[in-house]
Amino acid sequence: MADLFRQDLVALVPRLRRFAYGLTGNRQDGDDLVQAACEKALRNAAQFQPGTRMDSWMYRIIQTLWIDDRRRHMRHGPAIDPADVDLSDEGKAASLPEDRMMLARTRAAMATLPEPQRAVLALVAIEGLSYREAAETLDIPVGTVMSRLSRAREALLPKLGLSQGPRQ
Amino acid sequence: MTAPKAMDRARLAAFVDGELSPEDSAAVVMHLADHPADQAYVDDLFAANAALARAFAAPLSEPVPPAIQALLAEPAPSAAILPFPPARGRLRPALAGGLGLAAGLALALYLVQPAPPATLAVGPLDAASPLATALEGLPSGATLATTSGPEAVILSTLPTATGHCREVESLDRAARRIDLALACRLPQGGWQIEMVLAETLPGDSTTEPGFAAAEGTALQDFSAYLDRRGAGLALSPEEEAALIARGWAE
Repeated sequence: MADLFRQDLVALVPRLRRFAYGLTGNRQDGDDLVQAACEKALRNAAQFQPGTRMDSWMYRIIQTLWIDDRRRHMRHGPAIDPADVDLSDEGKAASLPEDRMMLARTRAAMATLPEPQRAVLALVAIEGLSYREAAETLDIPVGTVMSRLSRAREALLPKLGLSQGPRQ
Repeated sequence: MTAPKAMDRARLAAFVDGELSPEDSAAVVMHLADHPADQAYVDDLFAANAALARAFAAPLSEPVPPAIQALLAEPAPSAAILPFPPARGRLRPALAGGLGLAAGLALALYLVQPAPPATLAVGPLDAASPLATALEGLPSGATLATTSGPEAVILSTLPTATGHCREVESLDRAARRIDLALACRLPQGGWQIEMVLAETLPGDSTTEPGFAAAEGTALQDFSAYLDRRGAGLALSPEEEAALIARGWAE
């Protein structure tokens, strides 16, 4: 049982790192967060209910630790990777290949979102959770998931050059 | 032309996110065929989802960092290698290095005392005792050495629902014993040890700097106790220093 728990956790690590990267906007912070979350999970393995989704359980631990860390350090935004800074500036970004520029711009845009919106967007759009699973992971109503998603996308799409603005 | 009939954006998003039933999805597909603006919005959402997935995909194709690998490695059958101190402060790099780093940074302040601090027993501490003095004024990483073997280390300072507590570990190499204690500051001042857990070092233990081999079960109990008590993550050195400087006032 204990070995299985560890094995399942190991298998999840790549996705946990992706989620934490999306949340923190920074590889190192993301990995620190995943490490802290794994430590917490190992300490609290007895609280995990076999048969329930370990990924949601871990996403929740990561998100809680991140909120806690943010609150403690009064950070007002994620520390985004230096390479992604200022990529909303067409001039500075012009030297990058189009594809890389798009991805860097996506990371920079994600970093500008309020924390709760970023968490929902990362869970749904990147990790592929359903609205209900995201709601359970974040312990919020499904309606809140939908409204946060909606606001996140309203802010994100124009920054990605994808939307011509409100159409409704 | 399509504006009056435009579909609710939440519904379009639900379609893109795979939230709709096959029947409802089919209805959206039919709708999109006649509503280019909504189709464009759906295309944008798909493109944004794809961009997000790719923008943060790097960890999926990279090896897991060694620190996380080591953490998740299968424990030896009889003895887990436990970080020393417990790494509640992993997000605080200055603490994350563990005891070895803390000592290396000359944080280890030695108080030589005549009696061993094996007095890690539950109950209030005499305010004049070396341990109470250390808890009140020394940073985490401080070591209380004794003339006769056991050494105690203040591992961390943790906020809890009812005030601050500090993790203290006493290592008696001769007796192959580690005591892990939680000392909490009382509202009226002074310190009280709330719990002590003992670990027995394996017989063939080769204790490396920064790590102590222990059975691990007591550590799990300790963590469970901390969680029940509502303990948060360890304070950063700066936060801890500020707290000590203002006499543990909130």
